[in-house]
Amino acid sequence: MGQRMRYLYTEIRKAVYMFPRMLLQAILLMALIGMIVFCAVKTMEQEPLAVRADIGVVVREDDRVTRMALQYVENLESAAQVCHFIQMPEDDGFSALEKGEIAALIVLPEQIVQGIMDGRNPTVDIFFPKNAGLEAMLLRELTESGAGLLRVAQAQIYGAYDTAEAYGMKEQLSVMETDIDSYNLAFALDRLAVYDTETVSVTGQMSVLQYYAASAVVLFLLLSGMAFYPVMRREPRAFQRQLARQGTGGIWQGFCQWMSGFVCMELLICVLWLLWKAAGIMTPEPVGKITEALVERSRVGGTGVKIGMFLLVTVTVSTYIYLLYSMAGSRTGSILLICLLSVVMVYLSGGLIPSVFLSGTVQKVGEKLPTAYLIRAVGGLYAGYGAGSPGWCAAGLSVYTAVFGVAAYLLRRSDV
Amino acid sequence: MENMITVTDITSAYGRKQILQGASFTAQRGECVGIVGANGCGKSTLLSVLAGTLKPKSGEVLYYGRCAWSDGKGAGRDARQRAGGMRGDREVIRQMTGYVPQENPLIPELTVYDNLRLWYPDRRKLEEELSQGFLSLLGIGAYKGRQVSKLSGGMKKRVSIGIAMAGMPPILLLDEPSAALDLVCKEDIRRYLQVYLERKGTVVITTHEESELDLCHKLYVMKDGRLQQTDSRLRGTALVRMF
Repeated sequence: MGQRMRYLYTEIRKAVYMFPRMLLQAILLMALIGMIVFCAVKTMEQEPLAVRADIGVVVREDDRVTRMALQYVENLESAAQVCHFIQMPEDDGFSALEKGEIAALIVLPEQIVQGIMDGRNPTVDIFFPKNAGLEAMLLRELTESGAGLLRVAQAQIYGAYDTAEAYGMKEQLSVMETDIDSYNLAFALDRLAVYDTETVSVTGQMSVLQYYAASAVVLFLLLSGMAFYPVMRREPRAFQRQLARQGTGGIWQGFCQWMSGFVCMELLICVLWLLWKAAGIMTPEPVGKITEALVERSRVGGTGVKIGMFLLVTVTVSTYIYLLYSMAGSRTGSILLICLLSVVMVYLSGGLIPSVFLSGTVQKVGEKLPTAYLIRAVGGLYAGYGAGSPGWCAAGLSVYTAVFGVAAYLLRRSDV
Repeated sequence: MENMITVTDITSAYGRKQILQGASFTAQRGECVGIVGANGCGKSTLLSVLAGTLKPKSGEVLYYGRCAWSDGKGAGRDARQRAGGMRGDREVIRQMTGYVPQENPLIPELTVYDNLRLWYPDRRKLEEELSQGFLSLLGIGAYKGRQVSKLSGGMKKRVSIGIAMAGMPPILLLDEPSAALDLVCKEDIRRYLQVYLERKGTVVITTHEESELDLCHKLYVMKDGRLQQTDSRLRGTALVRMF
């Protein structure tokens, strides 16, 4: 066996020797990530996203009928879920609107109920703040939609009245009005008819669980690099130069170190996979449920594609970790760099918070980061890839792997 | 008798800083050459050039007449039959020299045996060396199964020397081998070098240790990037005045 092969053998031997310690560290890390994910999921389940806006109401004439009508609206379940009505004097209302304490101010004119009853329909003014927030914007849209519906209904009634009068059919007016009411009520109550159904998902074609499972796996793989210090660190110059003296150059040295890290990563995934399988045998019900929720059997590609993509993911992650160890000199520096960069990149790629909640620029940057490709590639292993997606993922990961590899080589070249 | 080592006008620089400015010396078979000088004067740089880990700017290094480094101007030109630019022959350097750098070239996570195995191509030969060869003289066999990270500085240095001796080179280059070691260890290394010299090995050593200077047949003081031969019996203040 030549010097080069002996060095490769020695590096892999070191990796295997150090593996139990690395595995232990990785399992601890996984437990930590699992705990964080569990807590996050529980929190999201307990507090569904809801926008409940404070609405100021100014009643210019405080009569009994108006108060009753207002109470009726306040107690409507659909209104109560979205709005919280606060009665206030007119001056206080505008002041609160300016300060942003309320999302809108409704000014009810005098004799409003009576006006509705006798057909005068007095105008109700609704004021929104100039720099409206999300709640006010939503409310404004809803109000304009509602007003539009009311305008249509009113035009229908006036149109029916004019038609009946023109053709001398006033006795038929009540029937026509009933028909119009029935039509409008059916239209208003069946609200789904107003909208086109279009499913919009921040996670692409993956479900939320599938998406966050992929993010968690990617984050775990990247962070597990923290345990790879013994095999991927920059060796002392004396050692590298001694190797170079014997004919083992910098490129081969780098390859051997990378290879030992890659072997560790493969072993780590194999062991965790076996543990998962063992858990499936011992506790089939919960493991089965999770598997059922994650795996889209109808969409998952062939075994060859999956194996290829899995290998590409591990190659990219290994090269990325190798690059970070090349950049940082000390153990502490490497660990900090891996931790910080990985979390930031996963965050920017929408792995922690869906990217639609991030600014446009961040979204654009996040889409191009290696973590975005990694999340798509890992998710695709169990949730399937869209048309053309495996190819794009593979291309993106391959380019990043090449860039990481060359950068790592350039950084370590000066050591030899 | 042909020189074992012939170093002629070696120059070397780190960026704009000139470190070696025409260093020259010779050494015979079985001879120990000591190089002393103030810290940072270029002793380690010279040894790196001799060991082939640093390319000199100009000059020539011949090992038993075979060209290790040559700028094509000296005798090395004929030996290599080529000229122009600084050229090195790693094969000559590898065959002729063993190098013990200041920093130990070891993998701390592996055992002593695994470390040695990396440098010794033949397992049987390694076993022989450990049981009755040079490695046994260094006493490495007693702790060959121990993890390197758990060894003392002296033990690690012995393993480093053992690594340098893989391939039984006729020339041993040692860069301050006794730095920060205890007295027992220093004495062991000194005794080992004595045996190596008795077996007609050639040693080039940079050191600050008087016990190791006692081994030297020739003593050079490095000053301003040049080597100046001095009386090998000089010690203490008299020697320091030469720096």
